[in-house]
Amino acid sequence: MTHLVLEGLTRAYGGRPVVQGVSLSVERGSLLALLGPSGCGKTTTLRMVAGLEAPDAGRILVEGRDVTPLAPHRRRMGVVFQSYALFPHMTAAANVAFGLEMHGVPRGERVRRAAEALTLVGLADHAQKRPRQLSGGQQQRVALARALAIEPDVLLLDEPLSALDAKLREELRSEMRAIQQRVGATSVFVTHDQAEALAMADMVAVMDQGRIAQLGTPEDVFERPRTPFVATFVGRSARFAGQAEGGAVRAGGMAIHAAGLPATGAVEVFVRPHRIRVLADGDTAENALDGTIAAIDYTGEVAQLQVDTPVGRVPVDVATADGAWRARQPGQPIRLGWRATDTIWFAA
Amino acid sequence: MSRRQAGWLLCLPALALLTLAFLWPMAILARMSLNETSESGMLVETVSTATYVKLAEDAFTWQVTRDSLVLSAGCATSALLLAYPMALFLFRTRSRWRNLLAIAAIAPLLVSGTGRVIGWLAILGDGGMVNAALHAIGLPTQHLINNWTGVRIGLTESVMPYTVLALLAGFGRLDPRLEEAAATLGARPLRAFWRVTFPLTLPAVSAGWLLAFVLAISAFVTPHLMGGGRVFVLATEIYDAATQTLDWPAAAALSIYALVLLLVLMLAHGTLSRRAAA
Repeated sequence: MTHLVLEGLTRAYGGRPVVQGVSLSVERGSLLALLGPSGCGKTTTLRMVAGLEAPDAGRILVEGRDVTPLAPHRRRMGVVFQSYALFPHMTAAANVAFGLEMHGVPRGERVRRAAEALTLVGLADHAQKRPRQLSGGQQQRVALARALAIEPDVLLLDEPLSALDAKLREELRSEMRAIQQRVGATSVFVTHDQAEALAMADMVAVMDQGRIAQLGTPEDVFERPRTPFVATFVGRSARFAGQAEGGAVRAGGMAIHAAGLPATGAVEVFVRPHRIRVLADGDTAENALDGTIAAIDYTGEVAQLQVDTPVGRVPVDVATADGAWRARQPGQPIRLGWRATDTIWFAA
Repeated sequence: MSRRQAGWLLCLPALALLTLAFLWPMAILARMSLNETSESGMLVETVSTATYVKLAEDAFTWQVTRDSLVLSAGCATSALLLAYPMALFLFRTRSRWRNLLAIAAIAPLLVSGTGRVIGWLAILGDGGMVNAALHAIGLPTQHLINNWTGVRIGLTESVMPYTVLALLAGFGRLDPRLEEAAATLGARPLRAFWRVTFPLTLPAVSAGWLLAFVLAISAFVTPHLMGGGRVFVLATEIYDAATQTLDWPAAAALSIYALVLLLVLMLAHGTLSRRAAA
């Protein structure tokens, strides 16, 4: 059931359009990620939903009710800010209880519900600490508890993990997702980190220059990007330009096979590294490319190879478990292959 | 040369100036306060506390102390009340006039104290602008100058720019996201201000108040000129003792007394604000 709807949200700063006609809907209890590079308008969109900025045009509906004219304090939207924005002069418990107090919850119940919210995020033992006595990850959890304590209509998260280091970010990512699902909060999550968006979201809206470039499941936007921008921004890929001709793409003197190609015209081609195999002698593939290893980056689970081929530089991931990657050296010849259906193409 | 030595070396010019222009005169003053004045008004070189005892036994000393404290605290408080909204506006505005407005707010500092007082005479005098306006609308005129009212007005105005500066400096770390967070949690704007912004500006308020208080209690020109000889505060008393009655030991003792009073008040303020911050 649709819970939150954005209709044609538009916003400009001093004549420069920042958000241009953003429309989308979020199902009850699901998490939507607004994914995009900095300056794409994702945070402005979130701030308009929260009521912290007024749209120039468009509407925001919660359960069919237009909340666009409402001030932020009348919207009941829980917001987790990028900087957390915890009240430094209050304890963690008082921070969490603040929203309840503003909503007129009696003192006793306030204390109980604040304690519950802190327990939910695993900080029951830190209730009496001030924000500055807490680590970054703990502050982030207090911010989440504070936003959830008011039992918000919609939970809005603005890059909530960006200030944390990589290890903690991954931990908190799954923890936040679990909490969000447990309380069933309809959520909008702003991030520039595609891994975060793919891992946490039910739906991903990829934003580019103030517009939604693609709205779909994480798998949709990763495996079936609708625009070259989405293909570039989400995930790595080999990327080259060619000409459609006779059911294949002519590029670098090669014929690259792909599904559903037009009869003719310029096309732009993407191939994801995880779809590319290294071909042993005698192996065949619908698309095969001979190349030379240019660089090898060991990253742990996989070694990332950069291979120079007639169509350009192609990234390939080689699993490291069998140790075979160690035999490969820059300068060696290598043969790569992938299926025709794994060729992603766009009419240029 | 170690870092420590380099630090001392860097402080040397300022220390030298302070020693020459402040500590040394203060030492002379302290010495002078231990002298006595004979019945005939002659300076008697001696070492005694007689001048202090005389001051302490004089009810007028306590009257002047009380009046000075009340006047300075009152002026500091009204300067703060006037400066706070202005400083908050200046801190928050994104207007391109912001710098110009900030300069306008502290512009009184560009005018000499005497010049400012003359301006006030034109405005507050019996035939001044305010009374002319009162008269024009048929209201009784007021004595706004050469009395405590005049001194209060003039002193408040003269310390206010410093209060604005102290507040602006103290607001530096105020995060605008905090009020937004309060709003999303259901706080109306006034409530968000009162519960979040205001408590966080208290250190700045406290520092601004102390600065205004110190400036007000040590002010001489404004009480002297706008009081018209009818307003007695510590600074004017010291001046009178030194230049009118030529009782130097009394002037020196009063100065030392005023200094100690101020030090005690500042220590108390420091202790209180540290306790409040903890």
